[in-house]
Amino acid sequence: MANTLRPYLTCIRNTLTAAMCLQNFPCQEVERHNKPEVEFKTSPELLLNPVLICRNEAEKCLIETSINSLRISIKVKQADELENILAKKFLRFLSMRAESFEVLRRKPVQGYDISFLITNYHCEEMNKSKLIDFIVQFMEDIDKEISELKLSVNTRGRLVATEFFKQFT
Amino acid sequence: MAVVSSHQLAQCISCHAWNADLSMVAVCPNNNEVHIYKALSFTDSIWDRVHVLRKHDQLVSSIDWAPESNYIVTASHDRNSYVWNLEQDEWQPTLVILRLNRAAISVKWSPKENKFAVASGAKSICVCYYEQDNNWWVSKIIRKKHNSTVTNISWHPNNVLLATTSTDCKCRVFSAYIKGVDARTDAETAFGEVKFGEQLMQLDLAMGWAFGVKWSPSGKTLTYVGHDSTIHFIGDVGPSPIAQTLALRDLPLRDVLFLSERRIVAAGFDCNPILFEADNQGTWNLIRFLDEGKLPPAETKTGTQFLEAFGKFHGQAKHGNNIEIVESSNISNTHHENCITSLRPPSKLGDDAHKILPSKEPPCSKVSSSSKFQLQRMIAPLLSRGDKEVHYFSTSGLDGKIIIWDVSNISEFVSRLRL
Repeated sequence: MANTLRPYLTCIRNTLTAAMCLQNFPCQEVERHNKPEVEFKTSPELLLNPVLICRNEAEKCLIETSINSLRISIKVKQADELENILAKKFLRFLSMRAESFEVLRRKPVQGYDISFLITNYHCEEMNKSKLIDFIVQFMEDIDKEISELKLSVNTRGRLVATEFFKQFT
Repeated sequence: MAVVSSHQLAQCISCHAWNADLSMVAVCPNNNEVHIYKALSFTDSIWDRVHVLRKHDQLVSSIDWAPESNYIVTASHDRNSYVWNLEQDEWQPTLVILRLNRAAISVKWSPKENKFAVASGAKSICVCYYEQDNNWWVSKIIRKKHNSTVTNISWHPNNVLLATTSTDCKCRVFSAYIKGVDARTDAETAFGEVKFGEQLMQLDLAMGWAFGVKWSPSGKTLTYVGHDSTIHFIGDVGPSPIAQTLALRDLPLRDVLFLSERRIVAAGFDCNPILFEADNQGTWNLIRFLDEGKLPPAETKTGTQFLEAFGKFHGQAKHGNNIEIVESSNISNTHHENCITSLRPPSKLGDDAHKILPSKEPPCSKVSSSSKFQLQRMIAPLLSRGDKEVHYFSTSGLDGKIIIWDVSNISEFVSRLRL
């Protein structure tokens, strides 16, 4: 598994390095506004082609870029019902605390589990390579986290079951 | 080819501009203010902030300092522009009637300093000139020629032609001849007699947004960069231009600067200025990256030749090549740590360059003229002889640094490269 994860993350890292060339860009439609073009999509010429990177059918990553903002949407692996529930709960937990993550989007893009929105202001405040590191690290950790959660749920289930069946012996 | 000095002035710098004798620099620290620093000559000096210009209420996107009249013009995302005049040690703003309804993006003085042009998000350009009666600057607008925001502008040395780049991926050349402001003889250009607002040329070479346009000192060559990581050179600008495009393998460029008629420095998201040169046939080539990186760690220095070579390649390899180690972050070891947004030629302005720079070499020109207009005409023949050129330039970036680069020994280096 690890040897397919590596090229997947590498590909995402390289795409992000190329895509994260953002700059301050005032809105063309509304005066004195400055907003992420990737969210509003009012001027098609300010958007770049979105890039979809897939590891397999269940795991993919969509990178949408515009002149002043970048949106990364991730679908994490959900092999069975339990993983599905765990992923949903865990990512909801994170999304609700979006403001402490700075780049996390409050609501994921349709069809994905979690989305990040990076604007030119984030690139000005933070180191670009660190920002990319964070995203890649996050993707690496999320798989691990969910596997761990699944394991602990299973262990706990087994324990509860044994305790429960003890009374019948 | 080396960094002369590096100054951390703010967390983030959106633009900067030098005055004529290079004793002052105006900087926008990525907010609505413009700070003016007194620039001192020695390398590790700490620059003093002497003035703060507060009038705008949104980000100041561009500053230009007229060398002769000593006026500063600023443009801001709040749709306004001001011309600042130094009166009794105070900078006084003069109103500019821009009549724009979107942000102003870029501003440039014309070579004669009787006009300036403002690029804007309203898909138009304003050409402004002074009106004595009302004590303000009025504008004439070139509308409906661009399909998107105008990102950058550049004046031809003849004070009439104006090149623009836009996020609709095109570069255009307009006439900015204003009757009553310009002499009647100025209307005669390479394109014949021109009227105000006429579109003379449209270049569709880039596949991405176009930024950073510049005319060469003689006005024969035009260059601009595209967000698809290309740089375009247009020779013999006129009825039958010759275009050349260079595609790069690195991140896109943001701004360009002519060192001389045949040398260009360009910089952008790679945080590393690149030198381009035209050969005898007029074909442009990438020569090298100018930033050799900060001093490598000690072990590389004392290592074998192989290690040294390895270290060199390692330093040159951009963020992409050491991806094997996914966990480690590729901290670039260039002097700029974030996108370079503007390039300025301090020594183009002539005689006083050595005031700010450690004077190893005589500055590019011995002309001590008070008029930049005259000065430029006098530098131009010096440049065409191929020997004298811009020796220093400065860059500012989103990392809040202003870095002064010394390219005085570049000719020597390039000739060595050819051997």
